[in-house]
Amino acid sequence: MEEPQGEKSSQPQDDWVRFISSDGYSFLVKRKVALASPTLRGMLDVSSNFAEAAMNTCRLEERGIVVEKLLEYLAYKSTFESAPKKEDIPDFMERIAPEIALELLMAADYYDS
Amino acid sequence: MSRRNNVRGPTSALTEFLKESGITPTTIARRARTRQVEQPAQLEAGPSNAQQNGDQPESGPRGTNGNAEEYASDHLDETDEEQPAQKKRKMTKTAEAKEKAKAKANAKKKKGDDEDFEDSDEDEDAYTALSKMWKDNSKPPVGSFENCARCNKQFTVTKYTMAANPPPGFLCHLCAKASGADPFKKPAAPRKRKAATEKRNVVHFEERRFPSLASLCIKIISHYIDDVEALGDIGSINLDELAKSLARNRSLTPQNAPLFYNVENTNLTLYDVTHLTPPAFNTLAALNPNLTSLRLDFCGRIDDTVMDSWTTSLPHLKRIELLGPFLIRIAAWKKFFETHPNLEGFLITQSPRFDLECTKAMVDNCKNIKELRLNEIGKMDDAILNEIKQYGEQLTYLEIAYPGVPEALSDDVVVDLMSAVGASLKHLNLSNNVNLTDGFLFQGLKPHARQLSTLVLANLPELTDAGVAEFFDTWKAAVQDHPNRALVNLDLSRNHELSDKALISLLKHSKKSLTNLNINGWKTTSQEVLKGIARQCPRLQKLDISWCREVDDWVIKELVEKCDKIQEVKVWGCQRLSLQCPRKRGVTITGVEIHVAA
Repeated sequence: MEEPQGEKSSQPQDDWVRFISSDGYSFLVKRKVALASPTLRGMLDVSSNFAEAAMNTCRLEERGIVVEKLLEYLAYKSTFESAPKKEDIPDFMERIAPEIALELLMAADYYDS
Repeated sequence: MSRRNNVRGPTSALTEFLKESGITPTTIARRARTRQVEQPAQLEAGPSNAQQNGDQPESGPRGTNGNAEEYASDHLDETDEEQPAQKKRKMTKTAEAKEKAKAKANAKKKKGDDEDFEDSDEDEDAYTALSKMWKDNSKPPVGSFENCARCNKQFTVTKYTMAANPPPGFLCHLCAKASGADPFKKPAAPRKRKAATEKRNVVHFEERRFPSLASLCIKIISHYIDDVEALGDIGSINLDELAKSLARNRSLTPQNAPLFYNVENTNLTLYDVTHLTPPAFNTLAALNPNLTSLRLDFCGRIDDTVMDSWTTSLPHLKRIELLGPFLIRIAAWKKFFETHPNLEGFLITQSPRFDLECTKAMVDNCKNIKELRLNEIGKMDDAILNEIKQYGEQLTYLEIAYPGVPEALSDDVVVDLMSAVGASLKHLNLSNNVNLTDGFLFQGLKPHARQLSTLVLANLPELTDAGVAEFFDTWKAAVQDHPNRALVNLDLSRNHELSDKALISLLKHSKKSLTNLNINGWKTTSQEVLKGIARQCPRLQKLDISWCREVDDWVIKELVEKCDKIQEVKVWGCQRLSLQCPRKRGVTITGVEIHVAA
């Protein structure tokens, strides 16, 4: 997918952001999804001087499986958070394997999601 | 003119009701007029009556006075034809319906009011804000002929015929299109009013928040808590971090707390045990029999029964740290001390019941206490200090801060205490004992403190700038053998009287070793001296210079550039800092107001 470097201001919601886990897996998600986490929003804030914001790439100190689930949740959140009350929201809990629940909890805590 | 004005002001319930039932100033005015005519009409001949009726739909609706007359008379010429007359009869039927509805509303009103209405109709159209109704009413019936206001051609009025802008008149289809308006545009859906019950339902709390990932994980962990295999390899996880995560979400429960329990545990720290019940605390003790150190924050639900069960369990306990043990009574404290004679650290914060009797029991039974914290003790007084004195030179850690009554402790007694225990103290916190003066520094600390590295004296309003300065200047020289080494952590926050002199002297005394300095609220400290902090303290890691009014970008710049080890700077309420406030990787600068605003 194209990653417009210079056009951040014009289409800030529609470009892609890369996440790299501690064991080297790389994930591409829409910026809108990443911004659902306040911590990631801070990392990707264009007004800051962080390398993450400049390169649209964040290294997360979590295992790939945890990063994957974290991003999956953020996608879930950005999709359904503004859904009207009456609409049925699928349960995310059944998508979390208990094996990673502890690690995911700490990641969730850090990324404030 | 009113037609052009789309602004609608707030309307009363009555106005709204009338509008919905199709009653407007226009219809009222029209009816008033017809009524006047009708009465004589019954006496006179029929035709005039008919003509009046025929006139009805047209004459009223005109928004603008003069033109309306004009227009109506124009139209009269045309009404000779048969077809429009029929249409008009239909209209009169609807008008009759309206009249019925109006009669109800009118019943309350006097005739005079009607007249008023009529007047306002003529004078102040703009404020009645009923442009929509006007438009509908004013439109000639569908199928009749009109002359286009712009091109003057005759055309058939349809559902889509639009009023000319500016009024008066109507436009033919071509002209309407040419004017840029879309004749087929659907009218905006009328605002639906909420059902009364729905409106009355005031939401006092957020009903269903979107579940956070953390809360989902906690649910799963609680669910699988008995199935250690399912949770995977716990060993690789930092349990302390996990405890903090759970505490931040306030979700440590009796169900998931066993995650942290282990027979081999010697050390247990739980940061928020709000949800643990007395039986859960018993379980905690039973499942961690080998604990030597226990810290429980927000342990408000520990009561006498828990303390009772702890007398037999936890035999190896040496250090206990509790935040908020409100419910424990004197008898339970005494029994606890009697059964734990090996206690070396007793640190509690916030207890309204802990008193002299408890202190006596502690001093009598626990001879090895080295660490003692009695913060925010409601019944703190001089007598308790006199008991503590008996520990003599074995105490290394002493906190007697924020007593229930801030004036509870007097200078003399504290000086006395220092003479007894001062020589071994490494950590001393006497914050918020508002009666302590410079005298305590000179007679208590100066001669007796030998090993102090951490000193916390926050909010002692009696301390003076000159006194504190002199104390630091002369501290080293006071004792010939083993003078107190330089301080590592110093907190003199919220002592508003302190300023330049005190800061210069304390830097001179401890500049080489200070890693943690808090001078929050030294409001008049000058910029030059503040810059001195950066120049003189090579080891500084954390600095709080909040509410020091002279702090500006240059002070921060010095800090960031000259202190290699600096990690954290707090600058709350330093209004001179600008957006250009220097930053550096690895240095957290908290509290820059302008960053928050930006």
